[in-house]
Amino acid sequence: MQIICPICKKKTTWEENPYKPFCSERCKLIDLGKWVSDEYKIEGDVENTENKEQGAE
Amino acid sequence: MENNKNGNESYTAEDIKVLKGLDAVRKRPAMYIGSTGIEGLHHLAYEVVDNSVDESLAGFCKNVDVIIHLDGSCTVIDDGRGIPTDIHTEEGRSAAEVVLTELHAGGKFESKAYRISGGLHGVGVSVVNALSEWLDVEIKQNGTVYQQHYERGNPTGPLTVVGKTKGRGTKITFKPDSEVFEILEFSWDILSQRLRELAFLNRGLKIALSDERTEKNQVFHYSGGIISFVEHLNKNKTPIHPKPVYISGEKEDIIVEIALQYNDGYAENLYTFANNINTREGGTHLIGFKSALTRTVNSYATSSGLLKDSKEGLSGDDIREGLTAVINVKLMNPQFEGQTKMKLGNSEIKGIVESIVNDTLGTYLEENPSVARKIVEKALQAARAREAARKAKELTRRKGALEDTGLPGKLADCSEKDAALSELFIVEGDSAGGSAKQGRDRRTQAILPLRGKILNVEKARFDKMLGSEEIRILITALGTSIGPEDFDISKIRYHKVILMTDADVDGAHIRTLLLTFFYRQMPQVIEKGYLYIAQPPLFKVKKGKTEKYIQNETEMLGMIFELASDDIEVPVKGQSVKGKALIPYLKRLYRFERLTEWFERRRKDPDLLQVILSTGMNKETLKDRRQFEEILSRISEKDQSMHIGEIQLDEEHQTYGVEIRRKNYKLNLDTNFLGSPEFRELENLFTIIRDLGDPPYKVQTKDGIKEIGKSKELLDFVLATAKKGLNIQRYKGLGEMNPQQLWETTMDTEKRTLLQVTVQDSVEADSIFTILMGDQVEPRKEFITTHALEARNIDI
Repeated sequence: MQIICPICKKKTTWEENPYKPFCSERCKLIDLGKWVSDEYKIEGDVENTENKEQGAE
Repeated sequence: MENNKNGNESYTAEDIKVLKGLDAVRKRPAMYIGSTGIEGLHHLAYEVVDNSVDESLAGFCKNVDVIIHLDGSCTVIDDGRGIPTDIHTEEGRSAAEVVLTELHAGGKFESKAYRISGGLHGVGVSVVNALSEWLDVEIKQNGTVYQQHYERGNPTGPLTVVGKTKGRGTKITFKPDSEVFEILEFSWDILSQRLRELAFLNRGLKIALSDERTEKNQVFHYSGGIISFVEHLNKNKTPIHPKPVYISGEKEDIIVEIALQYNDGYAENLYTFANNINTREGGTHLIGFKSALTRTVNSYATSSGLLKDSKEGLSGDDIREGLTAVINVKLMNPQFEGQTKMKLGNSEIKGIVESIVNDTLGTYLEENPSVARKIVEKALQAARAREAARKAKELTRRKGALEDTGLPGKLADCSEKDAALSELFIVEGDSAGGSAKQGRDRRTQAILPLRGKILNVEKARFDKMLGSEEIRILITALGTSIGPEDFDISKIRYHKVILMTDADVDGAHIRTLLLTFFYRQMPQVIEKGYLYIAQPPLFKVKKGKTEKYIQNETEMLGMIFELASDDIEVPVKGQSVKGKALIPYLKRLYRFERLTEWFERRRKDPDLLQVILSTGMNKETLKDRRQFEEILSRISEKDQSMHIGEIQLDEEHQTYGVEIRRKNYKLNLDTNFLGSPEFRELENLFTIIRDLGDPPYKVQTKDGIKEIGKSKELLDFVLATAKKGLNIQRYKGLGEMNPQQLWETTMDTEKRTLLQVTVQDSVEADSIFTILMGDQVEPRKEFITTHALEARNIDI
């Protein structure tokens, strides 16, 4: 399976890739660093709140 | 180098100084050539070739031929000045004979004939002679050809004139002595590698290697010198800038040249040479280069504002990541140090290399900002990775709030120790965590409450993230450790890791964060099939005294239509339909109306859509102007308030189109619109409207017949009828359920449904995450709008 490295956006493969889904140990580490240093967040905004209000008919 | 004659044209017996003692060579060959194995054997060839290269360095030789013969002998021919043939005054023999028989005899020990010389630590060609079964020398000089034959270092006669010539140069053939060497076969690979290196280092020098055993030939000749060398070294890599950077300079009689190019890899590939000798252990030239490179790149990065985010400067290691460089210095009295004598020791070289690199590279970076930027970015990335690795290690080492067991205090573990039988519920929020802890089966079910951190960024915006502490707790609870080196799936403590989050947008976001984290840092958990998503009910429906949990909207809808179809009758295709037979029609009507709403949100007139659909027009209709006009007049007949614009010809598709407006609605009736997948889906669903016949729709209820004007109102009426007497409670948070309810609906292994996360699901979660992260603003807005329907239950 062809995948895109989440850090550098290079193409790489899922199979036989010890650093999947990254292209390299380097990119995997950079990603881990971002998780542990609170760099990843999902931006919330007004639109999200609206979505929250939608119920089923 | 070829025209830069750095020696004296007259090279005579005067230049040869004698240091006696050749016998010692045969007694202890390893002292002179390193070993009597494969390396020592090749050393012999290098020694002879080096003499020719020295001629080239001095500016007198352009071609060197090296031939490996069938009998294991080797010939080296050059077109240099030829070894001096006149009689050496001190010795009373030909200078050539002195060179070939006396240890440490050679022009290199007086800097008149050779200002700069390579040669392997000056052992000289006499060592080759001493260690050869036999050696033939032929010298062409001043129109005369001389020859002499040696056996184990001893001449069998004096140097004799054998003929006349127009050429010049030296030819030496030698056969390594089987009494000395354990290995007698020259290796093509080893020789060609060294000869290629020499050709790179001596720009313009042509070295030809041929092997008579295999009839293989190769010529090494590089007009680019060490630039070509760097390109050769980067051949199978991806350089990040097209041309190697070349630096050269001369100071205090020391010549320095450096070529360097970055590739997208991480390895540092530095080759250093002093007088053509590969200084594998580095030395003062390398130290000077490294310090100047670090200084220059840092000062460029600082002055161009590229280091804003980085507190400290870039380290040398960061700057050299992915660097391929060749450093070549030429100096008069090289001192070689270290175990293998492959480290340059001359202390003055450091400062000279440093100042040449500082001057030249600084200017290069200023003049080539795009290359400079790439180099700095590459180093910054290296720095980030190093920092990330440090933080990750720190995170797993830090103990924090752990129990005696080494497990986090927040974890309510199960008593089962077999991972295959254990489940871990990752629950969002402390209150839901509390319910889950009370409701669980404590033998096999562990609960870990995790809180998504909410950051109040701006007034109305709350960003969500998993704090590093939550991640640490999660990793500790799983027992797998983390990171490319340390993560170990076999240590996982639960074979079912179940994400249990609220059914609202916040819950979906936390779930996306968790899924992305697993996908990126623990993909094996997903691959093994250990990751699941709990399916708490979305609704609780009460009718009279009975309660029912409804898992999702599809199920909810099914239930509503079932209830409605008991109470009403709707005419379909002219016949009154009720009960189970009515359900498929109602579902179709529901989908048609939902899609119409989708169009309406895009300012497409729902009434106009129905009119267009009823005319049965399609893309073909747009090709015929008359037919198109006829349909348009039917549209305006049906509804006077439609404002129909001028008919336009679409040149690209050779079709007609028109803009139709009413109130706030605007529709471009053209090929794009009629060909869109959404419209075609609407077209498919439109059969329900045909089946219902023309309004008003006469619906039979318990209270009599009700006439309804529009299809949308019909749907609303059906839904309202079904909901009568129903109490529908929508669960938004897990916390709204008590422990008993949570157990019954979501956790009970007998009754629950779990969604197993596949690799494909997680790829999708990652891409949703990437969009929601807000890297790019536009696609995110797009996602929010187009997925508004699905956003309520991003059930991946």
